[in-house]
Amino acid sequence: MLNAIDKKLLKAVADLDHMPKGPFNIRKNGKLLSREVSGNINIESNEDGTGIVVTVKPGVIDESVHIPVILSQAGLHDVVYNTFIIGEGADVTIVAGCGIHCAGSGNEGHEGIHEFRVGKNATIRYQEKHVATGEGKGKRTLNPTTKVYLDENAVVEMELTQIGGVDEAKRVNEAELGAGSALIVTERILTEGHQIAVSENNIVLKGDNSKTNLVSRSVIKEDSKQDFYANVEARAKSFGHIECDAIIMDNGVNETVPALRALHPDAELTHEASIGKIANDQLIKLMSLGLTYDESVDRIIRGFLK
Amino acid sequence: MLELKEIYFTVPDKEAENGPAEKTILNNISFTFEKGKFYGITGPNGCGKTSLAKTIMGINKATHGKIIYNGKEITEMSITDRAREGIAYGFQHSARFKGVTFRDLLAIAAGTDDEGKLMDILARVGFCSLDFLDKPVDSTLSGGEIKKIELATTIARHPGLAIYDEPDTGIDLWTIEPMVKLIKRQITDYETTTIVVSHNKAFLEAADCLVLIKEGQIAYTGDLEGAKPLLSDLSVCRYTDLCEGEIDAQCYR
Ligand SMILES: Nc1ncnc2c1ncn2[C@@H]1O[C@H](COP(=O)(O)OP(=O)(O)OP(=O)(O)O)[C@@H](O)[C@H]1O
Ligand SMILES: [Mg+2]
Repeated sequence: MLNAIDKKLLKAVADLDHMPKGPFNIRKNGKLLSREVSGNINIESNEDGTGIVVTVKPGVIDESVHIPVILSQAGLHDVVYNTFIIGEGADVTIVAGCGIHCAGSGNEGHEGIHEFRVGKNATIRYQEKHVATGEGKGKRTLNPTTKVYLDENAVVEMELTQIGGVDEAKRVNEAELGAGSALIVTERILTEGHQIAVSENNIVLKGDNSKTNLVSRSVIKEDSKQDFYANVEARAKSFGHIECDAIIMDNGVNETVPALRALHPDAELTHEASIGKIANDQLIKLMSLGLTYDESVDRIIRGFLK
Repeated sequence: MLELKEIYFTVPDKEAENGPAEKTILNNISFTFEKGKFYGITGPNGCGKTSLAKTIMGINKATHGKIIYNGKEITEMSITDRAREGIAYGFQHSARFKGVTFRDLLAIAAGTDDEGKLMDILARVGFCSLDFLDKPVDSTLSGGEIKKIELATTIARHPGLAIYDEPDTGIDLWTIEPMVKLIKRQITDYETTTIVVSHNKAFLEAADCLVLIKEGQIAYTGDLEGAKPLLSDLSVCRYTDLCEGEIDAQCYR
C-alpha cells in the first residue's frame, strides 16, 4: 500500500492526507494501486490497458474525482493515456497530478496524455500539479499533454502548476471550443537549477461566442529556462485573451511567444506579455515594511504564483 | 529625533552636453526633526520633497552628509534596517503587486497576521472598511484606495518616525479631516515624529512647523504665517488671468 514517500507525494500533488472521498484512481510506478468508483462517476481501464477512461454521467453536480500518479522507481518511464467523458450538464472537479520521488541515479519520467470530451453545458475544473522530490541524481521528466474538446456552452477551468523539482517538462495543451463554450487556463511554473520547461498551447475557437483566457505565470531562477508558446486561432465570432508574465531571476532564460490568428471578422483577440526582473518598487515597499531583500523576493514570488 | 547634516543627493544628468554631468536634487540640507513633533514639508513640484523622504528611508543613498536617528548614524543603513529602527514611509507612488492583498501587506507591516490585531489597526485607521482587507493590491485599486492602504501600512508599524508623502492625493472630501486627525493621534499616543509632505492646506495648518523646499534647498522653516509671503513669491504661474495676485491662505496649490 502507501509508504511514507507515497503519502508525501499524494499530499503534494493532490492535497490528500488519506484516501480521498469519492471516486479515485491512484497509479503507482506504472500500475494501478487503488481505485474506487461511484454510481455517478465510473473509472475503468481502457481496452489496451494503457490508461483509464473516466465517465461522468450527465447532470452529476458537485462531485470530484482524484487521479494522481506517483513514481518512485528508478529507470521507469511511465506513459499513460486517459480519457474523460463528461456528460451533458455535469459539474465536477478533477484533480490530477504527478509526483516523482527520485532517490537514485536512474532517470524517472511520466507522460500523461489526457483527453477531455466535455458535453453540452457541462463544467469541469481540472487541477494538475507536478512535484518532484528526492536527493537522487536521476533526471525527472514530466511531459503532460491535454486535449480538450468543449461542446456547446461547456466551461473548462484548468489549473496547471509545477513548482520546482522537475528537471524537464514539456507540456502540450490543445483545445477546440464549440459555440458558447469557455476555456480558462492558468499555468504557474517555477524552475531553478538547470531545469527546463516548455509549454505549448494551441487553442482553436471554433464555435460562435466561444471564449478563452490563457494566463501564464513563470518564475525562472538560477540557470533554468522556460519557453511559453500560445496560439489562439479564432474561426468564429469569438473572444480570446493571452496574458503571460515571466519573472527572471539570476541567469534564467525565457522565450514567450503569444500568437493570435483571426480567421473571422468578428473575432476579438488580445494579448499582454511581459518578461522582466522583479519590480523594484515592490521590493522597496516590502523592505520598507521591515522584510529583508530575500524575504521580499520570496513574498513577491509567492504572490505571483498564487 | 532625526538629524540631517549637509545632505546632498545627486544623480547623473542624462541631458547634460557640456554642463556638469550631475544633477543636484538635494543641495546641502541640514535640519533637525524633534521627537513627537508634526512637520509639514511643502514646495513646488519637482523641488525635492520625495527625494528627501526617500533619502531618509534609505531608498535614495545620500551622496554626501550624515543622517542620525535617535543618536545613531543610519546614513549607510539598508531600508530594512531603517524600517526595523522604527522609520516608516508612506509612498507618494505606491507599488502595485500581483497576488498580494491588503491583508498580506498589513500583516507584514504589523508583524502579525492575528485577525484581532489587524482589526484593531483597521479600527484605528477608520476609513478602511472590513471588506477592504481582501482586496488585491494590484492595478485594479483606485487612486484613493491605494493611498488609504499606504497610510494604514505606515501606521501599522507604530513607527518612531513616520513620513507620509502626499497622503491626500486622490482622497475624497470626507476622509481628509479624519486623516489629519489620525496622524495627529499617532503623535499623542505614540510620540511619533511626523513628517507630512503635502500641498494641502489641511495638513500644512495642522503642522507644528513648516519646511519649505525650493530647488533642493530649505528655503524656510517656521510657522505657516511666516511662510505665506514666500509661498506667494514661489508662484510660477504665467497665466496672469488665471492666477491673479498672490497665493492666499485658501490656496497654496
Ligand atoms: N533617481 C532620479 N534620477 C533623476 N532625476 C531624479 C531622480 N529622482 C528625482 N529626480 C528629479 O529630481 C527632482 C525632484 O523630484 P522629487 O520627486 O523629489 O520632487 P517632489 O518635490 O517630490 O515633487 P512633487 O511635488 O511633484 O511630488 C525632479 O526634477 C525629478 O525629476
Ligand atoms: Mg513628490
